[in-house]
Amino acid sequence: MTSGPNAIECRGVSVEYGDVKALIDVSVGFAPRQIHAVVGQNGAGKTTFARVAAGIVQPVRGTLAIGGREVPVGSVGAARAAGIELVHQSFALPPSFTVAEAMEFGAASGRGVFTRGELQRRWRRHLESLGVTVSPRERIRDLPVETQQAVEIARALVTDAKVLILDEPTAVLSPSGIDNLFARLRVMQANGVTILLILHKIREVLSVAETVTVLRGGRLIEGPIPTAETDAGHLASAIIGSGLESLSTIDREALVGADDEPEHEATTPAMAAERSVPVLELRGVSTRADTEGPALRDISLAVGRGEIVGVAGVEGNGQRTLVRAVADLADLARGAIVLNGDDVTRRPLVERRASGLRVIPFERNTEGLSLSSPLWENWSARTLLLGGLLNLINPARLRRDCDDSLKTWDVRFSSSSQLAGSLSGGNAQKVILAREIDGTATLIIAAQPTRGLDVGATAFVWRALREAKARGCGILLISSDLDELFDISDRVVVMLSGRISGEFRPPYHLGEVGAAMTGAGR
Amino acid sequence: MEDAIVAILRSGTPLVYVTLAGVLAQRAGIWHLGLEGLMIIGACSAVLGVVQTGSLVVGLGIGIALCVLASALLWFVIEKLRANPIIAGLGLTGLGLGGTDLAVQAIYGSQASVNAPYGLPRLGPAFGAFGVLSVLVVLMPLVVFAVWVLVRRSRWGLQLTACGEHPFAARSVGVSPSRMRLYALCLGGVLCALGGAELSMGSLQIFAYGMTAGRGFMAFAAVIFGAANPLGATAAAFFFAIVQALGIRAQILFGDKVPHDLLLALPYIATVIGIWISGRLRGGAKAATSFGELRDY
Repeated sequence: MTSGPNAIECRGVSVEYGDVKALIDVSVGFAPRQIHAVVGQNGAGKTTFARVAAGIVQPVRGTLAIGGREVPVGSVGAARAAGIELVHQSFALPPSFTVAEAMEFGAASGRGVFTRGELQRRWRRHLESLGVTVSPRERIRDLPVETQQAVEIARALVTDAKVLILDEPTAVLSPSGIDNLFARLRVMQANGVTILLILHKIREVLSVAETVTVLRGGRLIEGPIPTAETDAGHLASAIIGSGLESLSTIDREALVGADDEPEHEATTPAMAAERSVPVLELRGVSTRADTEGPALRDISLAVGRGEIVGVAGVEGNGQRTLVRAVADLADLARGAIVLNGDDVTRRPLVERRASGLRVIPFERNTEGLSLSSPLWENWSARTLLLGGLLNLINPARLRRDCDDSLKTWDVRFSSSSQLAGSLSGGNAQKVILAREIDGTATLIIAAQPTRGLDVGATAFVWRALREAKARGCGILLISSDLDELFDISDRVVVMLSGRISGEFRPPYHLGEVGAAMTGAGR
Repeated sequence: MEDAIVAILRSGTPLVYVTLAGVLAQRAGIWHLGLEGLMIIGACSAVLGVVQTGSLVVGLGIGIALCVLASALLWFVIEKLRANPIIAGLGLTGLGLGGTDLAVQAIYGSQASVNAPYGLPRLGPAFGAFGVLSVLVVLMPLVVFAVWVLVRRSRWGLQLTACGEHPFAARSVGVSPSRMRLYALCLGGVLCALGGAELSMGSLQIFAYGMTAGRGFMAFAAVIFGAANPLGATAAAFFFAIVQALGIRAQILFGDKVPHDLLLALPYIATVIGIWISGRLRGGAKAATSFGELRDY
């Protein structure tokens, strides 16, 4: 075993955001020169824990020691001086910066004034030493997400980091990207860096980490315990907080990652015939380039009745543009969009919605809901938008209908006039589901419908999608979680650089899909 | 030709100083609409300081001190009281316009303008037609260069830009966006004081109520036009100054044929067109990402 003081040690750390207790009396220490994992559900306090360790969040109580020496809490400067660096889940580099500038702005050594050439020479060497192949002249916003993460890690290592904390680093990566990341981490570990990984997939924990620590509801449940002395089932129940028997298969798959092929109901000839008139058909759709994402290039795709088509791909490969194209928010250069047999290429979104198009958008809080508006206004938007310009609005009735609908969808709310921003992520998503998945829906576009939701809410969303499918809705499910896609899709297409780079049917093979995601297959 | 260059430098220099102040604020994430107020405080303090104390240095010093103080007040209202920066900036402009008028009224009664016995030091007759230019005009290129180095070629500048573009990124390397905004605003206060002093003491040696006449807003437009880059914004400021000079020339040449008011409006129309063009080219100004609200999570 290793000797010497713990690389990082928290004693009695509690964090409160207003009334919410994010961490409750957490005391934990991590041995030096190892790879440690911290796991837990959403809202378990993992990110908060990482931010306390990095000094970004000020705990109400508790102490922090790094390498055996006490460090003032809530000071990024002190934590960085002691050698702690944090790589954020959603990266924290200004998008307009060049790679060299992104290295420099957090550096501590060297002169404060430079020429562009000096800056690039200095940081090119740094990037090379870490094996990151990227030009220091490139801008952060132009980098693919995996390179961005590599740059972010390189940024964290501009000072002499002794402890590197990565918050959910695998969430944005393709399977091969995850392998590369883990290889890179092992090299750093060999160089004497202690690594703390915040993860939510047990399979990844077991494959990379030496110890694992479980948080639940802001409390330390277990750990750090050596991964050799535990197994997936035990960890899953520690994370959920109930015996494994009571876990549904869905929940277990969400946590562990589906190891076995999920069962798919056989397709009867009758169902196949019904699917022959697709609810959505894209015929050779290309979009004009805009600033919001890569353009679509010659996309042909059909979604049948009662079919869930999954869209996989590393983020930023045109998935958002695809949703925008179907929702009439992107400029089509070529091709046609057909809904339920009608060509709607030149029709506005209102008419597309009238024929049954529903969208669960990527960004719950900015595209899906108006957080500063009451629930009933958010919920009624679907009918109000379809009505004429001069139709009268009957708020009392809408409120009543909204109440009923939200109760059916098991939304926890106190009044339909409360602001949408006061709901938790899972409940907010349920409001969107209640609005979008109605009886007249024929095509549901679900963009990352479970991102940021805990296991219970995730299972709820999946159930809702399956029920909609059973009613004959076509569903286009866009997700960066391959386990989710494999679990509920009838078919998975992969997007790469605005094209469809592959189509797969069950049984799915992670390797094949991963190759299509990165273009390694060609 | 020389006369035209002198005219452009004279009308452009005050604008450039104030524009640089706006660039610093914009980089830090604040849409600075208090530039007009700071500029007139600077213009007024310089004249009143000289008249009251007889010392140019004291006059300039008072102007700088008041502008820094007003900038710190703006920072306090935005950062500590969580006010909307745009509204707070407009409030500062109101404070500057009203406060300077009040000061003049209180000291000199209902006098419309105050004359100073002398202005800023000039280059002198040895420089021919350029001899009428003040030291602040001569210093201007140096100040532009210094601000450019600070913003675009120093780590401090990168951190400042991060504070405006991605405050969380700044915080996660241990930089306090709030404190950076204080520094940027106060440094901007110094620049506004100099710009105001050049306006009232560079060529005219007079302070009149409302003499900034929207130059602060024009400077803000130059910040947006120049994408918050010190050099680009300076070029934009000079573009506006040239249009202004052309407007004056046009009044002399065509004053009898074209309505006088239309020619006076020329620089402002050019400002609107300039903003429109820059918006089309770039999709808006860099740095500050949100209108009004500052989000520092």
